[in-house]
Amino acid sequence: MSERVVISPTSRQEGHAELVMEVDDEGIVTKGRYFSITPVRGLEKIVTGKAPETAPVITQRICGVCPIPHTLASVEAMDDSLDIEIPKAARQLRELVLCAHHINSHAIHQFLIAADVVPEDLMVTAINSVSEIRKNVQYVVDMVGGEGIHPSDVRIGGMAKNISETARKRLYGRLKALKPKLDAHVDLIIGLVADKGFPEGLGVHNQKTLATDVLYGDRTKFDLDRFTEILPESWYDDPEIAKRACSTVPLYDGRNVEVGPRARMVEFQGFKEKGVVAQHVARALEMKSALSKAIDILAELDTSAPVMADYDIRGTNKLGVGAIEGPRGMDIHMAQVNNGKTQFYSCLVPTTWNIPTMGPATEGFHHEFGPHVIRAYDPCLSCATHMIVVDDEDRRVIKNEMIRI
Amino acid sequence: MVLGTYKQITLARSTDKQIQKISQDGGIATGLLCFALDEKLIDGAVVAGPSDEMWKPEPTVAMSSDDILAAAGTKYTISPNLWMVKEAVRQYGLEKAGIVTIPCQTMGLRKMQSYPIGVRFVADKIALDIGIFCTENFPFESLKTFISAKAGVDFGLVEKMDIGKGKFWVHTADDVISFPIKETHGYEQNGCKVCLDLVSELSDVSTGSIGAPDDWSAVMTRTDAGETIFSKAVDAGLIETKAMDEGKFGLEMLTKLATSKKEKAMKVIDERKAMGLPVPFKASNEKEGDPLANV
Repeated sequence: MSERVVISPTSRQEGHAELVMEVDDEGIVTKGRYFSITPVRGLEKIVTGKAPETAPVITQRICGVCPIPHTLASVEAMDDSLDIEIPKAARQLRELVLCAHHINSHAIHQFLIAADVVPEDLMVTAINSVSEIRKNVQYVVDMVGGEGIHPSDVRIGGMAKNISETARKRLYGRLKALKPKLDAHVDLIIGLVADKGFPEGLGVHNQKTLATDVLYGDRTKFDLDRFTEILPESWYDDPEIAKRACSTVPLYDGRNVEVGPRARMVEFQGFKEKGVVAQHVARALEMKSALSKAIDILAELDTSAPVMADYDIRGTNKLGVGAIEGPRGMDIHMAQVNNGKTQFYSCLVPTTWNIPTMGPATEGFHHEFGPHVIRAYDPCLSCATHMIVVDDEDRRVIKNEMIRI
Repeated sequence: MVLGTYKQITLARSTDKQIQKISQDGGIATGLLCFALDEKLIDGAVVAGPSDEMWKPEPTVAMSSDDILAAAGTKYTISPNLWMVKEAVRQYGLEKAGIVTIPCQTMGLRKMQSYPIGVRFVADKIALDIGIFCTENFPFESLKTFISAKAGVDFGLVEKMDIGKGKFWVHTADDVISFPIKETHGYEQNGCKVCLDLVSELSDVSTGSIGAPDDWSAVMTRTDAGETIFSKAVDAGLIETKAMDEGKFGLEMLTKLATSKKEKAMKVIDERKAMGLPVPFKASNEKEGDPLANV
């Protein structure tokens, strides 16, 4: 006799989503479905028809948790569409701000899972550790990006300004001093996740991983020809869920994939582990990679170098692709600019990739572990929302096509 | 109290010969900032530095004494120094910034610190605010116009401008021309007409020439930070002091001018309020207590 367990909305994540699990008599999940129920804001449509500079400013508002990857993906897409080669120092500053953001965002996630894995007596230690790390890396984002939440200095063609030599030295000193603290923090988190004793094999699935770079993102590694996008109707076998799901299902080589820290480590660092624990471990380890890269960049950054390229804003209608590895996975923005206006804009955001993989990953274990599996992906739903047109009264789908709004 | 809250008031001047030569009066702003920078009490300062155009200041982040010396001397047109604060803290990475402000900017700075909307983690990095006495300020075009029209001097030849003894003084290489300060009325910024503050009442240290003899400045220390820095500079021998004259050309004059600025502004505020215009100050009948308070 199968029963349904519904968690709506799933908690301690950004945005709203629903987890529907079919369970057998023992409570073991036989079928898991996860889908976004976050309403649409219409950001892709807002930027269409406007000046290209509008896009980074608007799309960074997709989400307050990871505005940096969206800004970067947006400017990278515009750079590509306008055929801009950005100066080396600008690229370094962009990488620096993203590294700092990776650490910040992962630390936030560790705060969100603290209630799951941290015992009472260590709670204060763990939270203080998270705060200390965030304070330091957000300082980097503040200084390099111009603002901590919606960075104003990441621009099409490079960066608005280079940082001063004093700022470089100060940031370098701060991050060097952060290193031992971060190492201790990573050990703490990995230890706590291990101590929690998640069942062996929880969250393991056989889907492929997808990532374009170790940390930053590389548009040449994303092959648009291998990408397809289908409607929820043809993905979810439950028509009711298919109707309510707010996001499209992106596929790579016709299959759903996993993106995120574990995917990056599998693709680029020979990481073999799978499942919930592996995702937490990968995320924690990635904080170390990001910090050491940030320190390297600060060591070699030339603060007197130019950071803005000359470019022609009119555009040639080339489809530009910006691929950025956000904390939650690969974030792709696509843009076309012609006659000085954005003609087409589309975002393929991290959690959209993960959504079709997350539901089935809950299968085979007791439904009580479902939320743990979901949280291990650190889903961020607000960016993962597109829309279909439904009838107001009976929620019937009027237009059976995904309208990108 | 028309001079705001202060700990001590004194006459002072910089003992540094180089500063004396280029500064407006006693060289207090320049001297204090150089001292604070050298002693690492601040790690940089936002000042009205030189721009491409003569006499048009530009907010600049000074990171060394040289940068500060380059910004010495009064410019009688606005330099929006607060505009540079964010950049000073972000791109320049200052954590203990100094800043020079005129009274309206001092008010703005304190407001930024009290309500840091849009300047989170920025305004709290200001460690020292040196406020300058200010009777009024002129838009750049105004300044150009009345100097060439009233003083009859080509703007490019001006070497120093000064206000004192009721006159506006223009120094060129071989001439000193003056005209009554009354003749500049009408050229000042509109906002100056409702300004109730002559002496930067909210700054850490305020300084200016009113009430001081030539080449000296009047100094008021107002906060612990200001008092500490000033007394350290005096102890280090970089600034010499002498008692302020209480009489007609000293404290009395400063009080008189501060009061008359307030009274004139209060009149305009009341007029504008009566017409229903927006004024960022209270009308005199809305004030509790001191009718001339800077609120």
